[in-house]
Amino acid sequence: MRQRHRERVLDFLRTIQKPDRPLDTVAETDSLVESGLIDSRALLEIVAFLEEQYRIDFAAVGLEPEQLTSVSGILDLIEREAR
Amino acid sequence: MSLAAGFSGTARRLRQLHEDPAVVARWQAWTGPLLSRLTPPRRRALLALGALYVVVRRPLKEMAPAVDVRAPAGPLAGALVVLLCLVVVAAVYLAARRFASLPATVRRRPQLWLHGGFWAIVVLGWLVPDSGSVVALALSGLVLALAFLLWRMGYLLLSGQRGRMAGTRFSDHLLYLYPAYGGSGVPYGKGLDHLARHEATSEETLARSQLAGLKLLALAAIYHGLLALMAGLVYAESRGPWSVYGLRVPRVEALLPLGARAPWATAWSALYAGLVWDVLKLAARGHEVIGVLRLFGFNVFRNTYKPLLAPSLVEFWNRYYYYFKEMLVDFFFFPTYVRCFRGRPALRMLAATLAAAEFGNLYYHIVFNDTFLLTLDLAGLRPWLEARAFYCLLLGLGVYVSMRREQQRRGAAAAATPASMPTRIRRIAGVWTFLALIGIWADASSATFGQRVEFFVSLFGLR
Repeated sequence: MRQRHRERVLDFLRTIQKPDRPLDTVAETDSLVESGLIDSRALLEIVAFLEEQYRIDFAAVGLEPEQLTSVSGILDLIEREAR
Repeated sequence: MSLAAGFSGTARRLRQLHEDPAVVARWQAWTGPLLSRLTPPRRRALLALGALYVVVRRPLKEMAPAVDVRAPAGPLAGALVVLLCLVVVAAVYLAARRFASLPATVRRRPQLWLHGGFWAIVVLGWLVPDSGSVVALALSGLVLALAFLLWRMGYLLLSGQRGRMAGTRFSDHLLYLYPAYGGSGVPYGKGLDHLARHEATSEETLARSQLAGLKLLALAAIYHGLLALMAGLVYAESRGPWSVYGLRVPRVEALLPLGARAPWATAWSALYAGLVWDVLKLAARGHEVIGVLRLFGFNVFRNTYKPLLAPSLVEFWNRYYYYFKEMLVDFFFFPTYVRCFRGRPALRMLAATLAAAEFGNLYYHIVFNDTFLLTLDLAGLRPWLEARAFYCLLLGLGVYVSMRREQQRRGAAAAATPASMPTRIRRIAGVWTFLALIGIWADASSATFGQRVEFFVSLFGLR
């Protein structure tokens, strides 16, 4: 299941990443912002993606930006909160 | 190799000095015994010891305007303020520790309750007659001292809300509640969660952090030098022998009351010079604070990072005053973003941006308006509030438009090719001009709203 979520998340990240940084060069636990793959504003698009695709209600679970800055953090959140 | 290439290479090496393995190794060799003794618990203990001094010093410093208003001050009122602040901080700490057992209504909106409590004390201060008594003075002092602690206590509650209090002690939280490393009402370095995430855990990472800190302190010294030069050469203020050659550009706050009578070229020069001055001043101060934090192993982001080279307003906002921006994002932007207009992306972004850049920004400055907090002087507040609210509205709308444009650029195929130099320069000039112009309503001046508008339109030849 995690692998399927992973593919979906990576597909989405490819649509918002900066063009000069290939996604493959960033490890799953690396910070996507600090590695230069996305800028901090792209976090909002990740939030919208998770709300839409996994129905995560951030108003209820709380938005912790640090959770969303790595692929593994996003996957953990999906496993915990997706409905 | 050309001279330019050599110079560029040296500059790059200097910028990345703290990442150079040879330099890090040499620093480790020089400071070896010190580094091995400065373990994370010891570094925290040192900062906690410093915090004990700040526990006493900061409330007394913050209450100084209250002493002006409600003299005479005495040691009893000062001691009361220090003690009451500690009681409030301890109460918020306990609330954060036992967050899960708080009433559901508090758990849903902890920040609202925190600010509600603060305003209850402010109102109490308004109700107590201004008798010059110890109680009246202590209450006023408490209000002013709590304004400094307010946003820090916000981060403490946020830790509790996120379940991050386990394993932390009261002394750990004292580090940023009463920061011995300095700072303003804005919590530089945010709260313990953020600091702990960037804390050096090995001698090598501590060495890197310290070198990065030294670099910032050196930059701060350079910026202070530039400010002194600018004060002499641009403003011709008597700060050095070069003042006689100064351009005598007036400060914006001196020009604003002139309204449309301000000379056109002088007005434009003053606006741009004011922007550069503000950036340099904030960068110098922020580098000192973050530099010291890094020396203690907290390798957090710097507060200011080349904002004058930002090609968009949102980028400038991100680089100019990072911890103020983060505070507004944490306490205003995200809470609005996750709750309002979820089905309408554009409106959602607009609401969250205005909540942070307009409402949050304005509210932050109201909390630090000493005269209003102490005297409920609404008539005195009005001219300042009108100008500030308008500034915040313009800033909020500007940031929103900039964010939308960046989103569109990110999605566009054109983003694959970097902008040409002329395009980049045009964008940077646009950011400078927008900020210099909206700064007309942010400047601390006695000018009325109308005079500021007259000044603005006169810049475009309209009188």
